[in-house]
Amino acid sequence: MFAARRTRRSVTLSAVLGAFIAVTACASGNNPPAANHVLVVDKSFDMKTADPQREFEVSGGIVAKALYSTLLTFKGADSATPVPSVAKSYTASSDAKTYTFKLRTDIKFSDGTTLTSADVVFSFNRLINIKGNPSFLLADVTVSAPDASTVVLTSKEANPAIPFIIPNPALGIVNSKVVKAHGGTDQPGADKADQAQSFLDGQSEGTGPYTLKSFSTTSEVDLVANPSYWGPKPYYSTVVIRNIQAPAQLINIQKGTDEVALDLSPDQASTLSGAGSVQVKAIPGPNVFFLFSNNNSQISSITPNKHFQNAIRYGLDYQSFVQLAGAGAIQTPGVVPSMFLGALSQADAVKRDLTKAKAELAASGISNPTVNLGFPSDFTLNGLSFSTLAQKVQANLQEVGIKVNLTGSPISVSLADYRAGKEQLGLWLWGPDYPDPNDYLVFLPGQLVGLRAGWAAGADPSLESLGTQAGSTTNNTERGQLFQKIQRQLNTEGPFFPLIQPGQVVAASKGVTGADYNPTWTIDVAGVGG
Amino acid sequence: MTSPASAANRQLVPGRRLRLPSRNFLRFLGRRLAALVLLGLGITFVAFVLTELVPGDPAAANLGQRAIGDPAAVRAFREHYGLDKPLPIQYGLYLQHLASGDLGESEQSHRPVRTDLSEFVPATAELALTSILIALALGITLGVIAAVRRNTLTDQVLRVISLGGISMPTFWLGLVALYVFFFQLGWVPGSSRLDPGLLPAHHVTGLYTIDALLAGQLDVFGDALHHLILPACVLAAYNVGLLTRFTRSSVLEVINNDYVQAARAKGLPERTVILRHVLRAALPPIITVGGLAFANVMTGTVLVESIFSWPGIGQYAFHSATTLDLPAIMGVSLFVAVVYIVVNFLVDVLYGVVDPRIRVT
Repeated sequence: MFAARRTRRSVTLSAVLGAFIAVTACASGNNPPAANHVLVVDKSFDMKTADPQREFEVSGGIVAKALYSTLLTFKGADSATPVPSVAKSYTASSDAKTYTFKLRTDIKFSDGTTLTSADVVFSFNRLINIKGNPSFLLADVTVSAPDASTVVLTSKEANPAIPFIIPNPALGIVNSKVVKAHGGTDQPGADKADQAQSFLDGQSEGTGPYTLKSFSTTSEVDLVANPSYWGPKPYYSTVVIRNIQAPAQLINIQKGTDEVALDLSPDQASTLSGAGSVQVKAIPGPNVFFLFSNNNSQISSITPNKHFQNAIRYGLDYQSFVQLAGAGAIQTPGVVPSMFLGALSQADAVKRDLTKAKAELAASGISNPTVNLGFPSDFTLNGLSFSTLAQKVQANLQEVGIKVNLTGSPISVSLADYRAGKEQLGLWLWGPDYPDPNDYLVFLPGQLVGLRAGWAAGADPSLESLGTQAGSTTNNTERGQLFQKIQRQLNTEGPFFPLIQPGQVVAASKGVTGADYNPTWTIDVAGVGG
Repeated sequence: MTSPASAANRQLVPGRRLRLPSRNFLRFLGRRLAALVLLGLGITFVAFVLTELVPGDPAAANLGQRAIGDPAAVRAFREHYGLDKPLPIQYGLYLQHLASGDLGESEQSHRPVRTDLSEFVPATAELALTSILIALALGITLGVIAAVRRNTLTDQVLRVISLGGISMPTFWLGLVALYVFFFQLGWVPGSSRLDPGLLPAHHVTGLYTIDALLAGQLDVFGDALHHLILPACVLAAYNVGLLTRFTRSSVLEVINNDYVQAARAKGLPERTVILRHVLRAALPPIITVGGLAFANVMTGTVLVESIFSWPGIGQYAFHSATTLDLPAIMGVSLFVAVVYIVVNFLVDVLYGVVDPRIRVT
């Protein structure tokens, strides 16, 4: 009897296991095959919304770029030359205050409505009045539309960066009629009155190469090709952007289940070197990691000393930071990253000179200085931990004779101190908001990052005057030269010490083309081919 | 004198189980509900005070590098989240909204915390339930076997296995399991809750397997189950070890009691003696451990969620804490409190079910 019962149980167990295998096998059979026309992109999500005027995160930028067209755009990995998109041409006034865009007239939204200047005006004003993270892109800019196919942007101050700002996915053009019907508004007070975000999280209202099929801030975003897209038809008819953490991305790309991985660190990427089925691109990324020595004597009596600052400048072993950062990383010679207008060449980079550093420290008149270094202790970007970098700084400066106390704290805490200008030494990064050197004027006295380093307005009039000039010059060659001059000056008398641009890794399955990193939107899925 | 075995046997008499809840039970339930409210209040207060004590700034943590320099954007952020008001008023407003079920809006996701929780909690619940079922089934079975065959080779092997489960770090086990069973063997899918491009069934419970069954989508059900197996097993490893050890010692405490010997003397088969008399009497401590294990799993899955890209409450809690997202922190804290109270309540009720002596007192 016992044996019979055991047999019955075994049969039952086998039946349950069999059913499980059958059901899971059935599931596998019904899944979309890893066909050529389904692109799976792995990204660790920082996703908040698919509303173009509210998103300003890396993941959100990828999605908005696919769903919405902009007046101008960049081609592939390039971010130096804005090219026509919805605007077939544009002109800039000689004072760089007025930009006139002539629009194409053959672009239609999915409901059949033709895209007009009214949609552009609505989208841009909505961006401004929502007062969200990307609103600063059009700060002090007014938008008008003299006719249905012309848009005029008027900046209060000269702003030659506008053509480089316009391709940002946050300036994606939405169907104003539909968005208004779902609670959207572009009027002052939109920060409270606009209610269109949840609608735009469920359905896209743009003219981009894809439309939104499903959106989740936690698991995945599914895109399908827009049948009425006005540009070249994308290769992949379906794109799935999945929220996958870096270790799993590494396994997925090796296994070949997913086509593109965007968050691998240079160390992880180096493990793929022998994998024939994967191609890895590691290029210098646009993030600039830098150290600063606070110029505010109320924060420290030591760090504002120019000789002390020079001791740091020449005491840092820049090449060791590059080695630490791994594949693709370079020393950043100035605060403007290597791929942007006005970047310095490697020949301009500060080199380590311990003798000079020690001489500068002696000249400072400060014996055995001890300073605190603030940094985000829990933050890692491009596979590089700020804690590790801070230890390197500490070791480098110890050789000079400077004692550095590591006072890192979680980013939510350290960020507040940094932004309030309370750190004696600070180890931070600046990521580009738009690919133009004007974005780096923040490092000058009285500007956003300058103030965080205790560098008040009026502290260096010649540099500030150069900054004003560079920020408003319309001729790009001249502008580039001015920015180089500013950075050389910063490298000799400023409180900032640019360290590295860590490598930016994009790994893709062999045969996938066009998976290029672009600092403005990370990756253009419509440009990826097979 | 009534032996536990005979008391337990009495429970099997038909009709006794259908009694209405006694006044004692209702009083007990009322006390637990009152405790839930008081504890909830305490938790919100502590979470609020502690978060405010952190010398950070939610605006700095949540606004972008440019927006934080724009006074209009900072003002709009502070007004929107009520951060411009004095602390007691902020807390008072939070409680006022909480009374109507409004947990506030997350500063990181810009969505109501309730919406966030309704999305993240089911993902964790599905993982935790599967994991605890695996752990209970394996842990109790192995524990009973180890006790019955104490001091034999089987017992020694099970001891090594259970100690291994307890001592192996979850993150390490997760990575190794992912590498072996997904990458090398290809038996299970890699990460996340479904294959790419496969959409979950209409949200009813948020548990993909259940929703798929309700919608009759067997392919989604199978895929969701397939995705569950590996992370659930990794999560269960610790509890399998724990429950094996507890079950073994608990069974050993009662296995030689007089009533057990009497049952054997009556000629009952050993299997019946173990299952009906020994295991039942040994269950209360196992229920306690199982309950706590479930609560721990529900609230402590962050590492497994991270390795398997599982969008659960652990990841949400982690991001909330690192961005000082007060409404989300409060929401998660309340959730954790509710889980522990409900689990403790269920454990108490289960005590009564398996041991009538406890119910009587």
